[in-house]
Amino acid sequence: MTTAVADTHAADHEDHGPTKGIKRWLFSTNHKDIGTMYLIFSLVMFFIGGAMAMVIRSELAVPGLQFVHPEFFNSMTTMHALIMVFGAVMPAFVGLANWMIPLMIGAPDMALPRMNNWSFWILPVAFGILLSTLLMPGGAPAGGWTMYPPLILQTGDAFPFLIFSVHLMGISSIMGSINVIVTIINMRAPDMTLLKMPMFVWTWLITAYLLIAVMPVLAGAVTMLLTDQFFGTSFFLAAGGGDPVMFQHIFWFFGHPEVYIMILPAFGVVSEIIPTFSRKKLFGHDSMVYAASCIAFLSFIVWAHHMFTVGMPLTGQLFFMFATMLIAVPTGVKIFNWVATMWRGAMTFETPMLFSLAFVFLFTIGGFSGLMLAIQPADVQYHDTYFVVAHFHYVLVPGSVFAIMAGAYYWLPKWTGFMYNEKLGKLHFWASTIFVNLTFFPMHFLGLAGMPRRIPDYSTQFTDFNTIASIGAIGFGLSQLLFVLVLLTAKKGARATDRVWEGSHGLEWTVPSPAPWHTFTTPPKARIANESFE
Amino acid sequence: MDEQERKKNIRRTTMIVVAIAVAFYVGFIMMGVLRA
Repeated sequence: MTTAVADTHAADHEDHGPTKGIKRWLFSTNHKDIGTMYLIFSLVMFFIGGAMAMVIRSELAVPGLQFVHPEFFNSMTTMHALIMVFGAVMPAFVGLANWMIPLMIGAPDMALPRMNNWSFWILPVAFGILLSTLLMPGGAPAGGWTMYPPLILQTGDAFPFLIFSVHLMGISSIMGSINVIVTIINMRAPDMTLLKMPMFVWTWLITAYLLIAVMPVLAGAVTMLLTDQFFGTSFFLAAGGGDPVMFQHIFWFFGHPEVYIMILPAFGVVSEIIPTFSRKKLFGHDSMVYAASCIAFLSFIVWAHHMFTVGMPLTGQLFFMFATMLIAVPTGVKIFNWVATMWRGAMTFETPMLFSLAFVFLFTIGGFSGLMLAIQPADVQYHDTYFVVAHFHYVLVPGSVFAIMAGAYYWLPKWTGFMYNEKLGKLHFWASTIFVNLTFFPMHFLGLAGMPRRIPDYSTQFTDFNTIASIGAIGFGLSQLLFVLVLLTAKKGARATDRVWEGSHGLEWTVPSPAPWHTFTTPPKARIANESFE
Repeated sequence: MDEQERKKNIRRTTMIVVAIAVAFYVGFIMMGVLRA
């Protein structure tokens, strides 16, 4: 790379808008500022969605109706899911991507910085609209996050606001993923070939392609709901010749890849952390890339396992059952590689590593219950029970959320320039791990015993496990306050070195801690880059 | 790669990705239209 090119490169990214006050955040085009805003937004949403979970679990602590009207309970389950999926988990990963992808590939910023600003600021508007439905006549949407017609069409005044906010979330996600793809394809350091990219970058590239393919599908589905409700069409209305099952097919064509959108970046985070604290290179980097690509491909051809009970030809049932089971193979490759990375490594157990280890163990439990659900004859029994709730919460909480926590602890010293309080971090980890299992493990038994999901009351034989789950949920919710305490005290620790962790590797650790506002204004030199890649 | 070429590549990649997104959006609505 010649000096002239490096200078032009730098000059192009010099202006990131105002540097002080509220305008810095409103008009920022700096990937670090936007990453920080995404992460703070997702944490706020995590607590709002968590508060809704507390309402749900308080109501379910004992049989009978305690605190809320059943309609409101249904609103809580619907809003909890929408907020956690689109407001907490996805923006958290986009925040990590914004912060870390340019640092990891040696780029000065994201390729489309203005669009980056826009894609973030759409989100508070979208969730402002969604949350405002709680105050509307008829209440917030209560038909489930899957928005199945005809039930969802019975939503009151909130319906068009729900559709509009989902469209906005989709636009934000699509713009975010366009930025990720364009950045990774065009802005890598000169010597960084695709297969030399860190796993977090790889998993995000694959995730971004998934998002590009499936978020428009969700947008199409909700557009059709909107026209069915207000413009006299009958896409999904049986009375007008439409087909409500078609909505389920379209929704799950989006919905299943969405699951991988929420877990692939988690794989990436864990694949960065385990080698660092094992002081070894990631075992089988290339096979991890191929496994993630395989998972992404398979995620497009398994959607109907979510709807085995709607009735479909036997060949369809068999295809979707076996295709789903096939996902266990590349997932198994990943878990094997993480374990092989740790094998005979000089392991230490700092908070990011603890969260990553819990991820490997507990995500695997969620994976196994997913395999059980993939067995069509058994799914008829499990369908719409608490077993499903247990399964996807194991995948999303000790899976995605733990990976986000691991990533936050891992990169926090690089972001702030200070070491966080390790004791508080470990306390947060152990409280989270104990309570997450206390919350979700009993739900497997409830589901196997036949307790249906999305109900505010239940038969008395389900009391014990529900009470345990509710105690666990409240404990888990409270233990997340420890994370806030860690963040509030983040600048009271010792100064972080540039490398932060003894075993860390990659370009992001070659810049100072805290990472300066402008990094890699001159693309990193090949020699340094090569050392870092290894 | 010079800066002009990089910008051209960024524009090209962006247009390709946007086209994929629009195709999926319109395609799935058209599927609904054709079935209805």
